[in-house]
Amino acid sequence: MTSSVKDVDQFLPLSLPVFHMLLSLSEGERHGYALKREILQRSDGRINLGSGALYGAINKMLEQGFIVESDERPDAHLDDERRRYYRITPLGRRVVHAETARLRALLQLAEVRLGIPDPV
Amino acid sequence: MIDVTKLYRKLLRLYPASFRQEYEGAMDRQFRDEQRDAQGWKENVGLWSHALSDVAISAPRELVREFGQDLRFALRAYWRRPLSAVIAVGTLALAIGASTGVFSVTSALLLRTLPFGDASRLVELRFSPFSAGNGHANFAEWRNHSSYLENASTFSTSEMNLNSGRDALRVRVTETSANLFSLLDVQAQLGRTFVPEEDRTGKNHVIVISHRLWQQAYGGNPSLIGSVAHLDGAALTIIGVAPSRFDYPGNVDVWAPTVFDFEVIPKHGAFIWQTIGRLRPGLTMRQARQEFQADVARVNPKSLRPDNTSIPQMVGLRDQLSSQIRTSVLILSSVVLLVLLTAFANVAQLLLSRTAERHQELALRSALGASRSRLIQQLTVEASALTLSGAALGMTFALLVARVAGAVMPAQLATQDYTLLDWHVLCFAIALALITGIAFGIMPTWLIGRIHPSTQVVRMHAGTTEPATGRLRSALVSLQVAFTLTLLVSSFTVGSAFLRLVHTDLGFEPANAVTLKVSLEGTSYQSGGAKWQYYSAVEERLQSLPGVKAVGAVNYLPLSSNVLMAGTIQVESGPKVSGVVLNGSLPGYFRAVGSQLIAGRDFGFDLSKSPEPPVIVNEAFARESSFGPNIVGRRIIAPWTFRPYLVGGVVTTARMAGPEYEGGPQAYWPVEEEPPSALTFVASVSGDPRNYLTQCRDAIVGLDRNVPVYEVKTLDQSLNETMERPRFYTTSVLFLAGLALLIAVAGVYSTSSRAIIQREHELGVRIALGASIQQIRTLILRQGTVPVAFGILAGIAGAAGCGLFLQHLFVGINVSGVTAFVVPSLFLLLIAIGTAWSATTRVLVIDPIEAIRAEH
Repeated sequence: MTSSVKDVDQFLPLSLPVFHMLLSLSEGERHGYALKREILQRSDGRINLGSGALYGAINKMLEQGFIVESDERPDAHLDDERRRYYRITPLGRRVVHAETARLRALLQLAEVRLGIPDPV
Repeated sequence: MIDVTKLYRKLLRLYPASFRQEYEGAMDRQFRDEQRDAQGWKENVGLWSHALSDVAISAPRELVREFGQDLRFALRAYWRRPLSAVIAVGTLALAIGASTGVFSVTSALLLRTLPFGDASRLVELRFSPFSAGNGHANFAEWRNHSSYLENASTFSTSEMNLNSGRDALRVRVTETSANLFSLLDVQAQLGRTFVPEEDRTGKNHVIVISHRLWQQAYGGNPSLIGSVAHLDGAALTIIGVAPSRFDYPGNVDVWAPTVFDFEVIPKHGAFIWQTIGRLRPGLTMRQARQEFQADVARVNPKSLRPDNTSIPQMVGLRDQLSSQIRTSVLILSSVVLLVLLTAFANVAQLLLSRTAERHQELALRSALGASRSRLIQQLTVEASALTLSGAALGMTFALLVARVAGAVMPAQLATQDYTLLDWHVLCFAIALALITGIAFGIMPTWLIGRIHPSTQVVRMHAGTTEPATGRLRSALVSLQVAFTLTLLVSSFTVGSAFLRLVHTDLGFEPANAVTLKVSLEGTSYQSGGAKWQYYSAVEERLQSLPGVKAVGAVNYLPLSSNVLMAGTIQVESGPKVSGVVLNGSLPGYFRAVGSQLIAGRDFGFDLSKSPEPPVIVNEAFARESSFGPNIVGRRIIAPWTFRPYLVGGVVTTARMAGPEYEGGPQAYWPVEEEPPSALTFVASVSGDPRNYLTQCRDAIVGLDRNVPVYEVKTLDQSLNETMERPRFYTTSVLFLAGLALLIAVAGVYSTSSRAIIQREHELGVRIALGASIQQIRTLILRQGTVPVAFGILAGIAGAAGCGLFLQHLFVGINVSGVTAFVVPSLFLLLIAIGTAWSATTRVLVIDPIEAIRAEH
């Protein structure tokens, strides 16, 4: 796949919802609604993704190759077949790592400039 | 209770097809989950408001994204077959451009407001309830007590000599009540307009000049305010310059508030009063009309004749200004609409063929899971890409069309600027493009409705075609042919009427003649003797110029006189001839203008020798007098002196108003008898008359700079000006018909050639079974001609209806002849057959073996 050899920097910076989604998915497979609830909880209710925004972002991440749709379901009997499950790809992982590194560097720069002492 | 989840599913339709196909189910599921989790009405309201704002934000974003993909796909598809795309865009650009151009002129003339404040309340009164000649008090009395007008203004326009220190000029002067500018709510660009009391005796020695005159005569110098100019000898102070956009009542150079007191600028002869007014607010046109008619009946009961020949009319100012060309503009718009429809039918046919050819691709995509709406969306985007680029390109063409059309059409408000491409026009073009785009997108969906993925993929071959598609394409060809024939019949009719105009015998010879006007109003030549001396000197000077063959002069020259003096002449022991144009002329006039003497002879040169002065009449007069050429030698009683005159000769009848209108009876009397204050000189020259214009003018100006020499042009130029509108309409109709013909030919060609491509297999079998190439070609030709024949039948019916409107364009258009239908029909049929036949050359390259092999 060509996208795996692409330089991940071209995808950065990630939008906040996308970053959160990739974070959640790096912990395991999720369906759309689960992603939404998890992000809502983690952001203390600040990032409340509507379905359109959620699936729009998912659609884009699928195209970019960050995630793939998963065929496996936890329990086919319990679940609505219309629910879609997604899994992060190696490229997605590299992208979320790269974004984390970028944010860390930014944070360090800010701390130095603003004179905020290291919490350690 | 409303099922809210259904409502939400409806909302999801706002998303583009592909996105919806992919996520509709998941989103619907998720909404149910959220609804299940929401507790209490507060959370439910929050859920809905969140869902709504989410759709509002994300649906347009997904639409743009997906349409962008579709567009890129469409462009790649068009890139592979650029010729058909270029033809379609070109056809649309021409059609949309032509219609947008004509629409922009239509909208400028008919739909837009005039450059006057609150123009919808302005009216013209075609019947004065007051007598302007009775002075200011009478006018003010009437105006102040009007129940329907808030304000009114009265004016009269005529030509005068303007002397501002340099060469004298001939200008059009509107003498008006002082409130004309305030009534129309127009401010001066420089200086000021009139104040209320400036139309009273003693205060009315002021004028406002037009922007054009300011530029031409004063070089745009702002210090002219306060300077004095002489109008027909009267000294008047320039107080202001009108804005460049202002030209009312039309082609005016000077406004003077002397209308109630013609003593300031000496005036004689007849002049026409016009009255305009501003309706009181809240009054409808109907109410105002009734009150106006009652007003006239009350103030001036005698003027209303019982035979209904004098009906007081109140017309909206814009209607009044556009009425002359309104019908023509509407006819032209309809003609353009026909071209537009032809183009649409053509592009529809093209897109249909494309879709039919891509049947396999579409069926395959359908089999791979693309929904029907997904394919419709793709096709709509493809079609809209064509129509929108056609429209964009068309706007450039529209600008050109509008400029040409605008230059010829608005005669009334000549110097007013029309911003040709404004929001009216843009909306028109965009609406046109969108409607066609959507129509062309939806139409091929009939086709997709017929695609059955399971069977089609297996069975699709290049040679298979849906019979319904074929029928639809044939119908589209018939439509194109019908519209084109309607246009061809129209252009044949209009064109032959125009040719008749061109070949009309005018009664004079416009080639090789230079014409010049001089006016002695307000100059030092006031007595009859002085005028005669001046005119003789002019004649002598022109005569002595090298290359000048004959010189003459006349009061009213054909093709350039708007106002004529006419009267009734009693023929001795014969009938009265009424409506006779009374024209003073100088000996040599008939020779100079190329009118033939049919009987008798030209004026003698010494009037004093003859006891009864001679008069020359034209053929029309001779005919109406019932004497014919034998009228020579008879006496007539002239209405201008009530003395007997002897008819010395008969000349050919000149068509005064150009080839469209018959010439009426005329009587020419010798100018020497009582020289008028203005004359038009005619010099016939050898060679191109345009080369003589300057020297002829200079020869006269050299005599006295204070006498304006104006309308210096060739007689041919004047003829061209009278023919301008007929020529414009003829060229437009011919051009548009040519455009339609081109489109229809392309349509016929592509149907025939596609019929061969799509039936290649079948034709190959026929050839293999022994059918000759000629037989195959005839077969294809016969099938290709059927829709053309249907189209011709429909077109004849359409043309018969259309012809009735055409005769309003100019005089002489007549659609009743059979030739007008037969010739264009045969022409179109031959072209169609020729086109279809040339398309069948494709048959020659069919290799029967290959064609049959393609089956497997």
